[in-house]
Amino acid sequence: MESVGVVIVSHSPKVAEGAADMVRQMVGEEVPLAWTGGNPSGGLGTDVGQIMSAIDRAWSDAGVVVLVDLGGAETNSEMAIEMLADDRRGKVLICNAPVVEGAVVAATEAAGGSSVDMVRQTAEEYSAR
Amino acid sequence: MDLGVDLRTELVKAVAATIDRHADELTTLDQAIGDGDHGINMKRGFDAVLADVANLSAKPWPDFLKGVGTMLVMKVGGASGPLYGTLFMALGKDLPTEPGRDDLVRAFRGAIVAVQARGKSERGQKTMLDVLIPVAEALEAGRSEIGAITLAAHAAADATIPMKAVRGRASFLGERSIGHMDPGARSSALMIEAIGKVLEKA
Amino acid sequence: MNNGTATETAATGAILIEHEVGLHARPSVKLTKLAKTFQSAIRLGTGPAGPWIDAKSIVKVMAFKAAKGSTLHFRAHGGDATQAVAALVDLVRRDFDESHNGG
Repeated sequence: MESVGVVIVSHSPKVAEGAADMVRQMVGEEVPLAWTGGNPSGGLGTDVGQIMSAIDRAWSDAGVVVLVDLGGAETNSEMAIEMLADDRRGKVLICNAPVVEGAVVAATEAAGGSSVDMVRQTAEEYSAR
Repeated sequence: MDLGVDLRTELVKAVAATIDRHADELTTLDQAIGDGDHGINMKRGFDAVLADVANLSAKPWPDFLKGVGTMLVMKVGGASGPLYGTLFMALGKDLPTEPGRDDLVRAFRGAIVAVQARGKSERGQKTMLDVLIPVAEALEAGRSEIGAITLAAHAAADATIPMKAVRGRASFLGERSIGHMDPGARSSALMIEAIGKVLEKA
Repeated sequence: MNNGTATETAATGAILIEHEVGLHARPSVKLTKLAKTFQSAIRLGTGPAGPWIDAKSIVKVMAFKAAKGSTLHFRAHGGDATQAVAALVDLVRRDFDESHNGG
């Protein structure tokens, strides 16, 4: 099965893109990866529709983990997950980890073929270290 | 008007109109204690709902409400988008196709619970819940006089003025949030008033 | 060192880190990825007696921070222990396959 996918959600599109670049550089191409940042007006913020779209781009039947920065990113990601199709909703997990380091650690774990629960656990282990 | 398409259409028009009329006021309230975009965001959301009213109102009540909720999530943005979106989506989720008063009151309470979960907040924290919950209680107590319910909604919004914000951007202001009405409470009260006026004529 | 099971072996190895930035983030990723391809339990330490960390744990390996010039010690236990240690030692010897201009 394909590796678990990783989605990066930041209030800043530059941060989100940069984090994704770091993941690609450190982990490689094998993990499905997508990023989103900024609101539709072009300011800092996050957008539910864009997050849903990122989840779709990084979709893997093994599941997807979502890395978020501040509060609104988490609320909007929760909203996005609730609005997914029934057969996808349960496979997407938000990680309580710093957005950049959590994404690198999650992608590394995902590249090793770990389950979505294990990928989240590893990302959150980073916070607890 | 009939209690189907016509009523849904009138409700959308009335709510969109009141949001539009009060958008600047809501923005001003939000500038005092929030991101400063509540009015702009709500107007954008309800303008989108209004633009799609023919399509939305053609659906039966549950799908209509879910459709409004989905559009609000996608278009309002900010902190209120997910909250109002959840309110309407949850309202439509458990409603039968031809809801009676009891169904609506029950669904409203369920929708409030969903909003509490979404925003991770509860009554007394200076949010829209401080209007929605008193209104739900009035309805659950059997009150039906629209005028009285509307007054209760506005009184509840006023009651947020001395509250200290615990949730959201306003909570960063701490003590400085006291003395300002919560913008979400105001928009909720305005919407309830607009809905009430339509129902009185229905 | 045989625990009585025909397939169980243990292996150890040590290698000097010559990579410019030591066991930094990207080398950590490569090390754990490689370690995970083996079924043996694999541990990593700064000395022949440890202290040891799990070489398959990205969080632990990233936190390990072994600098250039230090020696990495590996201990593996399992059916493919010998191959695991050999592969990991070789990865370090190859500077984690990074050019000197890389990460």
